[in-house]
Amino acid sequence: MDWSQWQLLDSILPTGGFAHSFGLEAAIQARIVSTPDELRTHLIHLLENTASLLLPFVHSATTNPSADNLRKLDALLDATLSNEVSRKASTSQGSALMRVAASVFTEIPSLKTTRDACLTSNFHFHHAPVFGLICGLLGMDPKTSQRGYLFITLRDSISAATRLNLVGPLGAAVLQHQVAAIAETILKQWADRPVEEACQTSPLLDTFQGFHSYLFSRLFCS
Amino acid sequence: METGRVTVERVGGKSTVTRSFSKYPLKFILPNKVGSAGTDAVWIYALTYGGGIVSVRCCFSYLTLYGDRISCEFFVGNGCTAVLTTQASTKVYKSLGSRCSEQLLEARIGSDALLVVIPDPVTCFSTARYAQKQVFRVVANSSSLLLVDWITSGRHESGEKWEFQLYKSTNQILLVDDDDRPLFVDSVLLEQGSISSIADRMLDYQVIAMIVILGPKLKNIQNQVQESVKRLMSDQLHMPYSGVRASSNHAKPNSSSAFNNKPQLVASCSPFGPKGVGVVVRIAATTTESVYKFLNHQLSGMESLIGVPPYR
Repeated sequence: MDWSQWQLLDSILPTGGFAHSFGLEAAIQARIVSTPDELRTHLIHLLENTASLLLPFVHSATTNPSADNLRKLDALLDATLSNEVSRKASTSQGSALMRVAASVFTEIPSLKTTRDACLTSNFHFHHAPVFGLICGLLGMDPKTSQRGYLFITLRDSISAATRLNLVGPLGAAVLQHQVAAIAETILKQWADRPVEEACQTSPLLDTFQGFHSYLFSRLFCS
Repeated sequence: METGRVTVERVGGKSTVTRSFSKYPLKFILPNKVGSAGTDAVWIYALTYGGGIVSVRCCFSYLTLYGDRISCEFFVGNGCTAVLTTQASTKVYKSLGSRCSEQLLEARIGSDALLVVIPDPVTCFSTARYAQKQVFRVVANSSSLLLVDWITSGRHESGEKWEFQLYKSTNQILLVDDDDRPLFVDSVLLEQGSISSIADRMLDYQVIAMIVILGPKLKNIQNQVQESVKRLMSDQLHMPYSGVRASSNHAKPNSSSAFNNKPQLVASCSPFGPKGVGVVVRIAATTTESVYKFLNHQLSGMESLIGVPPYR
């Protein structure tokens, strides 16, 4: 089972995470982030906001990986992600992840049946609950799945920072390691919360993320 | 426990307050005439004893000291228009111990009805704890709602910036004809003592605001605001002339000037809900005055619906 769990977190899994900067590209063009220090601050705020807003969805789907629960979480998250840029980023990554997982982890037939059942209904495939569901079906414990979600968020945004030439590849690796320690504290604070408590703790991020559609030229989808 | 309730219904072809209840320390003021005669809208103010005319929300500030819980209910009947507003910012004073003052607003908006919630901002003083929840039950593709929800960093002119203990604001729009299915859910929590302070997370901005524009009566306003915000922001955004890393390595003075170049007011606009029935605008600014100006400018088209332009 470890092999499957590692594969889920591996950046080679083609889920399209690298098409997104999670608001970083817009923040750079709005001159909110221009230095490596500001990048570090931005990453911490992004992780805090991801933890408070999305970990409750990951947690619920991991502990109850049923199609019914997924449908409920998907509808609630669609109403919660009122920002169109982040909403589309979430559904494109979530549907890609579900498609990949259903094709790759064939030893878990319920992945395919859940996907097929959801394809026919009014379903958005938001990323956080889909990720949580797959973790749950792969037998990952809830704490690990929530840590995994913060891990891929950090991984993808640091990767975006490298491609936006904000930090070099070695500097990025150093930064990822430093911020990981902070991410673990953030995880302790926000893990295992019910979805009713999901909230934004860095509302500015949402404002910047919304700029993305105004950018004249852009590298990323979000 | 309920502290206030207002019912607006159509009587003789006009929006009319048919029932109004409030109890100490809350009192509603319902002026007969606000704005021109041609518009059909009921305006609702609330008064607190000892506080002069303040808002439905303003009144709660006086209760903050005691950590009270206030709950109000508004019913806007089919085809009616109601406006809830304030004449001063809602001040939340220092909290005693860990008590938190809470405010709950529940509103039911009928078919073809419009509710306009245009308060002044909430200002939480140092160490204050404040939580509000606003729930709007609407009829899909029929009810209209304009909601402004905003907060300032405190008495920032005198240096008190984001020093309150806790602020939580939850806004929900539920579809009453679809088993209360959520159409829009937004919850913001600003609390000290996590990894970063509130001030850290707000960079140098002193005000954050959200405008929600929903429903058929506000279609024109939605389009105007979306166009205008896009124009405003497109001028503010610039591609770095070369790699950001290169410029920050070059000369130290650059980084401080980049800091000063941050836009004074940022806003972004996004459609939500099936077929983009609603639009949400999120704003951050360095001064309260600039947000008043922004709101006044962006919402000036409301005049024909409610008699006077909001935030005049």
